[in-house]
Amino acid sequence: MTTKLLDGLRIVEACEVWAGPMAGSLFGDLGADVVKIESFPRSSMTRPLRVAPGPQGQAVGGNDGPPYEQSGIHHLANRNKRNIAMDIRSEAGAEAARRLIADADVFFEGYSSGTMERLGFGWDVVKEINPNIVMISMPGWGVEGPYRGYVTLGSGLDAGVGHVSVRGYPQHDTGFVPAIFHSDATGALTVIFAALAGLRQREKSGKGCFIDMSQIEAMGWQFPGIFAEWTMNERRPQRLGNSDPHIVPHGCYRAAGDEQWVAIAAEDDAQWAALAGVIGKPEWAAGDDPRASVVGRLRAREEIDAAIGEYASQRTPAEAADAIQEAGAIAAPVTRAPETLASPQLNAREWFNTVEHRYAGTNIMGGFLWQIAEDPATWDRVCATVGEHNVEVLSALGFSADEIATMQRDGAIGDSYELPSA
Amino acid sequence: MTQPYAGIRVIEVGGTVSAAAATKTFSDFGADVIKIEPIDGGTARRLPPFPNDIPHLDRGSFHLALDTGKRSIALDVTTASGREIVARLADDAALLIQQQPPADADALLARLSDRAPSTVTISPHGLDGPYRDRIENDMTTLAWTTRMQRHSNEGEEPLRYAPEAGTIQVGATAAAAGSAAIWRRSHEGERFTIEIAGVEAMTGNVDSFFTIWSMTGADLPRPAGVSKAAYVAGNYPCKDGFVLFAAGNDPFFSRLCDGIGHPELKTDPRFVDPDQKPLHWDDFMTYLQPWLDERTKLEVFTQLQDVGVMVAPILEVPDALTDPQAVARGSFVEVDQPDVGAITLAGPPFRLGDAWQARPAPRLGEHTSELLGELGYSADEQIALFRAGVTA
Repeated sequence: MTTKLLDGLRIVEACEVWAGPMAGSLFGDLGADVVKIESFPRSSMTRPLRVAPGPQGQAVGGNDGPPYEQSGIHHLANRNKRNIAMDIRSEAGAEAARRLIADADVFFEGYSSGTMERLGFGWDVVKEINPNIVMISMPGWGVEGPYRGYVTLGSGLDAGVGHVSVRGYPQHDTGFVPAIFHSDATGALTVIFAALAGLRQREKSGKGCFIDMSQIEAMGWQFPGIFAEWTMNERRPQRLGNSDPHIVPHGCYRAAGDEQWVAIAAEDDAQWAALAGVIGKPEWAAGDDPRASVVGRLRAREEIDAAIGEYASQRTPAEAADAIQEAGAIAAPVTRAPETLASPQLNAREWFNTVEHRYAGTNIMGGFLWQIAEDPATWDRVCATVGEHNVEVLSALGFSADEIATMQRDGAIGDSYELPSA
Repeated sequence: MTQPYAGIRVIEVGGTVSAAAATKTFSDFGADVIKIEPIDGGTARRLPPFPNDIPHLDRGSFHLALDTGKRSIALDVTTASGREIVARLADDAALLIQQQPPADADALLARLSDRAPSTVTISPHGLDGPYRDRIENDMTTLAWTTRMQRHSNEGEEPLRYAPEAGTIQVGATAAAAGSAAIWRRSHEGERFTIEIAGVEAMTGNVDSFFTIWSMTGADLPRPAGVSKAAYVAGNYPCKDGFVLFAAGNDPFFSRLCDGIGHPELKTDPRFVDPDQKPLHWDDFMTYLQPWLDERTKLEVFTQLQDVGVMVAPILEVPDALTDPQAVARGSFVEVDQPDVGAITLAGPPFRLGDAWQARPAPRLGEHTSELLGELGYSADEQIALFRAGVTA
């Protein structure tokens, strides 16, 4: 059994894509009983009805099961929870949702603001069903405000908060900066903290509460430097690439091989002395050489970058990083997924999880975000199939076998999506 | 005001950005956070920018933003005298979060008493394994996680994120795990020893493409500008900057056609037939780009969002501060910081009534004497600790 930290808490998730579903998995990792209400009959974006082309395709170890059960972007964020696929707009589905909520400690939903109200499960209704529940609504821009109802992926929030504008290369404009989904990872973590804060508040007040979690605000406090450039000193933050205005060297250098890169930095004189020795320039850190000092290095940025670039170009990223780390400076290979799998460190810590899934086959999954010595997290439930736990969950909520069969027949619940005709 | 962590003590050891980030939200929701930092100040205090570009241990932007409301004690925790003080402070705490070199972290864990709370120890690679003693910074930790390689353009240097963004997310991971540990301890009295390795925390979370690669075998091609096959997605120029689309598929593509006044395009086989669509990006742009050129990024955003298109403005930092939604919600607040004046900080990460409050950050060692006094150290004992270089 997984960690017991949140043993006994009952969590209901109604979320799609990444931030919310990942939060559901984290609750599950921590030992809570998590039930995901899966959208039905419409499938979510991460459950494609067609085999998708390109890099977000199907599990290679998969069988001839439906494509929406084999999608990597879905499995990534949906372990350690049960799944009930139901149409909460139907009367029977709504009744099941009411019973789930009546029985839960936390209900969190990730739809655009106003959607849950329209579906009949806004806070006004939810608190009548269960006055002790903590409800979290987590739209991209928050529940209240002029952007109410707007839709986004995490990438849109990294754009809206200013993060994208400071990424990028000095020589290119913002049009060239790839999307990132930093906000999804941050959002998932914030849901855990918010829910436990809400539950503590419930213990103090004796009643449940509503939390308006704007995902862009959940991330906003994590960029103090770029905001202060403007608010303290009225400077527009510039695109720096990997350089640092106050640290030389600090960059990403092309290594031997096809599109291979290594990140290298020396943040003080001692680290620089170590690095200078490795790259064959020990005299640049010795005696009265100006480059031995922080300021001298700032003034010799191009020369130093060129020397490190020359060193890196003759070695693989791992060779360069290992040698530099061994000497006592900072370096890491810019790691690709296959290299992650081969990491001596991650393997020594037994970080990976090999899991078997009915449709996706046997896969090696990324591990848990934390290691708990006394009570490790375990992968108790693989990513659930659509409606896999309909009968189990509904029975526990008091629905009879006949009622469940009727719900299935009427389309209030389901365990498969209709595939488009070829 | 009722705060969920009022009456709860959280100890922070190390003074790093990750540790400061990990305890900030506890502090802002009412916890008594005791920031135990090196006697010459933690690294979080040395990060720029500073007001008027004048470096100062008490005025750095990361310190002012991440240390809100904490009490600071300057203490050499690598000495036996320092560890004794940490252990005594921890006896009354609900959680201890530390980031130190692994040997020091282990030594502190070993010194804690049976009464000590759960602990969260942050490091780049974890407290065991062949990389345990490696030193990483924000850039190189991110480099290990697949995110840097994947979220960069083909042929170009892989790009880091905003300064310290990854490091702070590692701290947020510690906060999430730590809040669960406090929950368990307050109900069952159990104590847990938790490790957060930055590389694991960021590779295991979403935004990492490790698991997607592992499952699908896709060789992770890096982007090379906007996709001309699965459009409209990616960054597009408009009148005053750029907007980011995620409208490559329906229903968003059809809504986009409606939104730009060309509903006929949503049934045009050039753009809806999966085989034809990749051949006609240039044709579609003859409709879309002129529409974008006439509108600001906020106009594109609001007009298309009003019809349900996934699009976002790519805001520069000053614009993010004055964004209409941020202004209406009060997403940024002012804090009156002694010796600095009014500073602007990000507001609550979530709205739980009025339970969030940002208070000024402490000067280095501002509460050393106060905290030692609370522990019962006499004036002479405090002088002894100071003379021995243990406190400041």
